[in-house]
Amino acid sequence: MATLRYAGTRVLSGLGVLLVVAFVTFAVFYLLPTDPAQLSCGRPCTPENLALARGFMGFDEPWWQQFGEFLGGILTGRTFGSGATAIDCSAPCFGYSFQQSATVVSLIGDRLPVTVSLAVGAAVLWLVVGVALGVVSALRRGSVVDHLASGVSVIGVSAPVYLVGLLGILLLGFTLDVVPVSGYVPLAQSPVDWAWHLVLPWIVLAFLNGAVYVRLTRGQMLEVLNEDYIRTARAKGLPERTVIGKHALRNVTLPLVTLFGLDLGGLLGGAVITEKVFGMPGVGSLLLEAVGQLDLPLLLSTTLFAAVLIVVANVLVDLVYGLLDPRARLT
Amino acid sequence: MTHPETTGPLLGRRSVLLGSVLAGLGASSFLAACGANEQSSSGGATSSSTQTGGTLTILVEQTTTNFDPAKSQSLAITSLGLVHRRLTSWKVTSGEPAELVADLATDTGTPSDGGRTWTFTLKDGLTFSDGTPIRAADVKWGLERSFTPAFSGGLTYHKDLLAGAAGYGGPFEGGALDSIATPDDRTIVFTLARPYGDWGWVASTPAFSPVPEGKGAEADYGQHPVASGPYAVKTYQQGVRIELARNTHWTKDSDDVRAALPDTVLISMGQAADVVSQRLAADSSADQTAFGASFVSPAQLVQVSQNPSAKDRLVTSSSGALAFLSLNTTRGVLGDVKVRQAFQYAVDKSAFQIATAGTAELAGKIATTLITDGIAGREDFDLYTAPPEGDPAKAKELLAAAGHPQGLTGLKLLVSQDGNGPAQAQALQASLAKAGIAVDLLVQDSDAYYAAINAVNPEEYDLALASWQPDFPSANANLQPLFATSAIGNGGYNSARYSNPAVDAAIEAAQATVDADEAGKAWAAIDRQVMTDSPVVPLIYTRNSFLRGSKVTNFFIGAFPAYPNYLAVGVTA
Amino acid sequence: MTPAAPPPPRTSFGSALVRAVRDDRAATIGALVIAALLLLALLAPVITRITGQDPYTYDASALDPGSGLPQGALGGISGTHWLGVEPLTGRDLFAIVAHGARTSFLIGVLATAVSVVLGVALGASAGYLGGWWDRVVGWVGDVIFGFPYLVFMVALGAVAPPSIPRQVLLIVVIGFFGWPRVARVVRSATLGLARRDFVRAAQAMGSPPWRTITRRLLPNLWGPVVVIATLSIPERIGLEAALSFLGVGVRPPTPSWGRSISDAIGWVQTDPMFLVVPGVALFLATMAFNLLGDGLRDALDPRTARQGAR
Repeated sequence: MATLRYAGTRVLSGLGVLLVVAFVTFAVFYLLPTDPAQLSCGRPCTPENLALARGFMGFDEPWWQQFGEFLGGILTGRTFGSGATAIDCSAPCFGYSFQQSATVVSLIGDRLPVTVSLAVGAAVLWLVVGVALGVVSALRRGSVVDHLASGVSVIGVSAPVYLVGLLGILLLGFTLDVVPVSGYVPLAQSPVDWAWHLVLPWIVLAFLNGAVYVRLTRGQMLEVLNEDYIRTARAKGLPERTVIGKHALRNVTLPLVTLFGLDLGGLLGGAVITEKVFGMPGVGSLLLEAVGQLDLPLLLSTTLFAAVLIVVANVLVDLVYGLLDPRARLT
Repeated sequence: MTHPETTGPLLGRRSVLLGSVLAGLGASSFLAACGANEQSSSGGATSSSTQTGGTLTILVEQTTTNFDPAKSQSLAITSLGLVHRRLTSWKVTSGEPAELVADLATDTGTPSDGGRTWTFTLKDGLTFSDGTPIRAADVKWGLERSFTPAFSGGLTYHKDLLAGAAGYGGPFEGGALDSIATPDDRTIVFTLARPYGDWGWVASTPAFSPVPEGKGAEADYGQHPVASGPYAVKTYQQGVRIELARNTHWTKDSDDVRAALPDTVLISMGQAADVVSQRLAADSSADQTAFGASFVSPAQLVQVSQNPSAKDRLVTSSSGALAFLSLNTTRGVLGDVKVRQAFQYAVDKSAFQIATAGTAELAGKIATTLITDGIAGREDFDLYTAPPEGDPAKAKELLAAAGHPQGLTGLKLLVSQDGNGPAQAQALQASLAKAGIAVDLLVQDSDAYYAAINAVNPEEYDLALASWQPDFPSANANLQPLFATSAIGNGGYNSARYSNPAVDAAIEAAQATVDADEAGKAWAAIDRQVMTDSPVVPLIYTRNSFLRGSKVTNFFIGAFPAYPNYLAVGVTA
Repeated sequence: MTPAAPPPPRTSFGSALVRAVRDDRAATIGALVIAALLLLALLAPVITRITGQDPYTYDASALDPGSGLPQGALGGISGTHWLGVEPLTGRDLFAIVAHGARTSFLIGVLATAVSVVLGVALGASAGYLGGWWDRVVGWVGDVIFGFPYLVFMVALGAVAPPSIPRQVLLIVVIGFFGWPRVARVVRSATLGLARRDFVRAAQAMGSPPWRTITRRLLPNLWGPVVVIATLSIPERIGLEAALSFLGVGVRPPTPSWGRSISDAIGWVQTDPMFLVVPGVALFLATMAFNLLGDGLRDALDPRTARQGAR
């Protein structure tokens, strides 16, 4: 019961956060002096055509009214224009991109597989490699492996993704010609090509993000290994594998879950740069296109979508935390 | 973004239509104009193989390619032309001027009533990709449809010219437009609000493509249009890839402009221009049958020039869009013609060339007039003679004489983020500084840039780096959009906010002139008149470079426009 | 907590800094690199005056007229141009990197300052006062954590009116989005301190909250605040560079490492030095701050120091 109430509170507060994010984003974008209808006016453009385009797109209404319609559209759907040419945007309608002639839900849906392929593949890689390296470093403290892992992880934490990505493309793509320079092949089309196009981004992302996991795992492991119960376990002559796997790693799980959840939630922010560097048509690229085309509905909804990911990840992490460690609910 | 298809680039966005005077113009005078230029389309001499079959891939940077004729601003010779035919089209051949030719119609239109009424007759036996016949009513429907607010965004030249079109809201709500008459299935008669000699060229704009009467109410019509050209959209993957397959109802003998060599055309979207260049230069097997729709950037030009194989596959236009520095005449000291004239001397056009393409040769020759190369009636003159590096001393002198011995400060120079706009603007900034003119750059994303240029609010910028390729090869299309008072704000491109009643009157008179030679002379006089007022500094006529894979054939750029002719391109096995 | 703890000695932070820099080789290197880059940034105008090379002046003579590439080996390195020149423009790369360091440090440090000021003020007051204020601060922090700030800043950079100077916009926006992290650290440190006797004693003596916070709490918060600030600066520098890389950061011609890297993409094969020079500068700066920050954290937190003995 308490767990349910705790979960309910977290979800509600997450929704509140999203509402505020939507409101702020909306206010900021719509109050700035841009006229998205300009781009749908045609050329040459006349004031009459401009007014027609603006009216059709609904940009002639006050922004707070537009915000109300935006929120309403999520629940009940929206219709732009009227008669035979009306555009139906069924619920949940997060807006309609007039430039791309599609609802933003379908646009994001189309691009999401790319971003997810990129992020999940890299995340699995960095989680596995990062944790493994962290454990080894902690167990072999002061060894060559430890020093190497520390050095590499400092580089990983400091180097920007576009720099490493570009060097990777230059070296592996152009000079050695072992991986494709850019692009994306859908998994359904060819799993091999899919993976082959993603290998370099995965490695680069894993190298950069994995560094934090190495450090975190190593630090947590060292702390746990000093705890009395581990010493006791060892003293009792339990095999090292059991000590590490069953007792030590379990205590490292909690902070790792937190970090991993938040990293996954924030993946869209990072995707903006990663997808640009590797020429991947994902949600991050979609955002950059929306920026280039002053596509306000798309800008708003990609921002909101990124916020949804972060908030959902936060809530999930909190819930998992609450399950793993009931004390956490109190604070 | 540097593709002529849709909204965007410094150059691409404007290079869309083609005008009238060329219709009455002999090829000889056009060639003479090219000769004066002394630069011909270079490189990329592809075999003129007529081998059919295979798959051609077009690598484009932007992620929307619009096949809705009402919403498209596309050139007659690029992607849209593969799917849709128009009443008229352009015949573009290597080294030759673009020629207005019949497409769906049997000729390029017959004027009557002093150019106020235009009659076209459709060819016999034309069919859509769905097997239904193409009738005059379908062309009329397509045009009417373009007035629907839901389908705005395309080229709108016809909207302003058709009689009684003001306030017309399209066929879905507003009934028929009476100024387009279809007495029978093959005849279409346009009644214009005023005489217009360029109507034949206007009839080659996308909206003159047929849409089956009653169809096309859906917003995503462009993703599955009914085709009249040699290809139909087979699959449309939003933002990623479009596959065009042969339209079996199209017949080669009815079409003089489309070679339709490949069996399949793939449009691969979202391909960064630099990556495209590098891939095409490397010429791996997958890219051998591809060409890039984006300009090859200066950095890539260097690389290509060091690679003999790639160098052979580089095609550079002989001339191109006019790049110019706009001086916002409504802003402070720039209202003073003497101050504006100082800019003519201050600018280092040679540094601008280097910033554009690395070398003067690849960038394009220095411009001193507003009418671009290859336009009827163009006269070469230079009202402000200065070395290519500019004459800062003379500029300072003029500024001092205008009451600014300390020079000018705090001028905002608007520039688009796209291409190497920022580098070009920085070159201008550096050269203006030598003449005592301090300039701050205002770098905007391309669409924010156009929003500023097109908007009503003149308080946005003092100077703007702009570029213009005429929509049709008539001086009309060079001058009216840039210098008429009616083109200020509200979507117009008069970025200098230049307003001179005498020039407006002269433009109106020249537009009403139906005789091509006479009109040409009138336009040349307007060119001089505008340059005297110095609202802009002409910089260069920008050449465009494109790369193709080694198995792409018939890849060339005509004398105009400065883009490859997609309709002719094929691939070898 | 240990009972009856005396106020921690005020010198602990300073000595920790010295200890960290002296005993930790990595931190020493970090501090030296930061000092060198800071000197470079501060002295950039002086260097320009001495060498006669500024990051704005075009030098066509340094370019190969046939291509626009730098003349000479390694991107045109010469006695005049120590790190070579930019292709197409001939501008001095050393000057661009030096003045780019000014941009990076200005934005990195000031944005961090904004975060720290806001974060300390809100975090300390929330932790000390508790109640509804604590909840409000916590919730606003949650909202900001939920904000996709990079996405938002990219979008904002595209639509923000040009009348707002970019550096100011970047400092304020980057700084603003950074305060909740500082506030969380400060809040929990404040909670810990507030239970300790020297603070309780002050409270018992009727010291008003404001006075207790500034006199008793803040001096003891220095350690964690400096650690988090040091570790934040490289992130901010990286963020500015990323935004400039995406074309929505500082405007040209103001030099920025991120924009130079972005400009260099097309030249990687013909003029790799153009990528390497600003890339190395950016990498060195972020790594140096990370090394120093790690060292400080280890020195200030004996627990991690014990484990983290490198």
